[in-house]
Amino acid sequence: MLDPLPLEILVVDDILESRRALCSLVTELGHRPTGADSGYAALSLVRERLPDLVLLDLLMPDMDGFEVSRRMRSLTGGRWVPVIVTSSLQGEEHFIHALENGADDYLPRPVNPALLEAKLRHYSRVLGLQSQLSTLAQRQQSTLDNILDPVVTLDADGLVEEFNLAAQALVDRSGQPLAAGTSAQALFGTDVTALLAQRACSLHRRSGVEFTAEIASGRWHDDRGEHLTLVLRDMTETHQIERMKDEFLATVSHELRTPLTSVMGALGLLAGRAAGALPATAIPLVEVACRNGERLGRLIDDILDLTKLEGDRLVMHLRPQPLAPLLREAMTANQGYASRASVTLQADGLDTPLPDMALDADRFLQVMANLLSNAIKHSPAGETVRLVLAAAPNGGRVTVRDRGPGIDPAFRARMFDKFSQADGSDRRALGGTGLGLYITRMLVERMGGRIVADEVGSGASFSVWLNSRAATDRQALATVLHVERDLELRAQVARWLAPICRVDSAADLAQAQVMAAADTPRLVIGNPQAQGSAHDFCHGLRLLAAGEPVLLLGDGMDADFSRQTGLPWLSPAQDGPEGLQRWVQRCLTKPHAKEAAP
Amino acid sequence: MSDLHRVMCVEDDPDIRMILEFSLATVGGYEVRCCPEGASALSQVADFRPDLVLLDVMMPGLSGPETLVALRELPEMRGVPVVFMTAKALPEELEELLTHGATGVIVKPFDPMSLPTDIRLYWEHGRGRLPG
Repeated sequence: MLDPLPLEILVVDDILESRRALCSLVTELGHRPTGADSGYAALSLVRERLPDLVLLDLLMPDMDGFEVSRRMRSLTGGRWVPVIVTSSLQGEEHFIHALENGADDYLPRPVNPALLEAKLRHYSRVLGLQSQLSTLAQRQQSTLDNILDPVVTLDADGLVEEFNLAAQALVDRSGQPLAAGTSAQALFGTDVTALLAQRACSLHRRSGVEFTAEIASGRWHDDRGEHLTLVLRDMTETHQIERMKDEFLATVSHELRTPLTSVMGALGLLAGRAAGALPATAIPLVEVACRNGERLGRLIDDILDLTKLEGDRLVMHLRPQPLAPLLREAMTANQGYASRASVTLQADGLDTPLPDMALDADRFLQVMANLLSNAIKHSPAGETVRLVLAAAPNGGRVTVRDRGPGIDPAFRARMFDKFSQADGSDRRALGGTGLGLYITRMLVERMGGRIVADEVGSGASFSVWLNSRAATDRQALATVLHVERDLELRAQVARWLAPICRVDSAADLAQAQVMAAADTPRLVIGNPQAQGSAHDFCHGLRLLAAGEPVLLLGDGMDADFSRQTGLPWLSPAQDGPEGLQRWVQRCLTKPHAKEAAP
Repeated sequence: MSDLHRVMCVEDDPDIRMILEFSLATVGGYEVRCCPEGASALSQVADFRPDLVLLDVMMPGLSGPETLVALRELPEMRGVPVVFMTAKALPEELEELLTHGATGVIVKPFDPMSLPTDIRLYWEHGRGRLPG
């Protein structure tokens, strides 16, 4: 066996000879003794020298060993300092009494050197373990304290158990500093269930500052029961950065447009012969400059829109309104472009009786401008672009059709994606930005509709399907609530389900609750990924559904999870649009959906 | 006031002022007076008697909306349409500009060949409307 680590040992004995004898024995055994001749001297040395272990004579005139060991406990704090009492008294009652008063062990006098050696070796080992454990605990605490977000662990009753350094700056709703035992209600102003459902909370610092925090949570268990660890990320800076980004983009776009106004103005005047006739060789050059200036202008607009759309910060003012006047306005607005391209614009079905649609008028005009200008751009001179308004099962359909070269089948699959155009040469020739259809799709989806490229024999045809929210027929309007963190997946599912039902899309349970309150869903679909505790999320979905069926939809889940939660599960990658549509259709047409999900 | 003759342009960018003058005078055939800032526009209204004012939104000194408010105080401006010019493109920003009592908004970059017709439409639409 290895030599034990040398221990700092305090030897307490009022009799000089026996103290010296014990000290020299301790030295021989490889440890470092310090002598104390009284109880008081012992207590002050404990404070000064922080010994690893104390050998304590029970019988001393000023303070007996029982009293010394009792008082010593309060001096060593969280650290355990073993106390071995020694006595030459006969019988074991006084040893039992000493152990009951805080001593750890006893050693009869005269001291048997072999027994002392064995005991010291044993304590050296135990103290080594203690030091390892405290190092480990210290490491973990340091790790936790170096997480700059507040981390708080709650027990099963919603009371604070532990928290890190960052959380020490927090105060509860009544201004009291965060402490073990503070309730979630006092800290967050709401109970744990509601807190987890909303995924965000407002918190207060000692400094009086209030801030919004995003909550990431994890549940865990040990012998003492269930615990909930919350990481509270201060979103102030993130929100500020988003705001700054918006302002920066608005400024940049303004600053870019100002010189562009001069460039385009000068070019427009030249091209319009306002400064006199141009040499024939100069005309194509000016046209190139004009076309590209226009393209630059569109790029600036598109990038601004795109940033807002992708950051979910584009404000939509949805208002029920008739479609036909908006379509007439869109026709008028694009008439100039059509005339210049020698393309005729024709509208049909504008008198079709339709209920009002919930639309943002400006954004709808933007959608129509994108579709019409696209169609005009791709039409040969002399051709006609047709706009048709027709009734659709849950609302209306607007189709824009051109007689251009049509859509390359290979391009179809990604035509609504970002920066996609049929090919690079086309983009250059026709002055597109590759963002138009993507933005159009995002805008239509944000207005609760969907856009598809129709299969037509010649030319290209795009249809925008819009839902009427004025109708009251529940069957026709069955709403599916989809809770998904990923924007793309949200949009994809909305597209897939648009033909059969209305889809309300929410990023998280908090948003979903607002939507469910406005419009009771007949089916709730959710993806537990990136939503914190998956079980809590599923529970939240069930609450939202209020007895209606719940479906899990996401890739990378497993059948086990589905079994554990008792919820059916589909994978978008494997089941595809048809699989999902079939499932939802069955669900919505079943007369007693509440009793049995398909 | 039977026709649109005199157009006052308030614009701080000298290049854009030149384009405006070219577009409205040479192409449109209007009598044009360009002012580099709101204050000089205010002092020239009585002398120039514009039939329509084209007003940039973001200018140093008096901003477009501030200039509009001050213009509306002048008796010569009674019933004269004011049209904003702006490089801001967000629909909600344009909406907001119209609440200041302008007849319309021209978005930059504008087409200098169609600008004379565009402002004539605004003039026909906004003529005789009371301010506010």
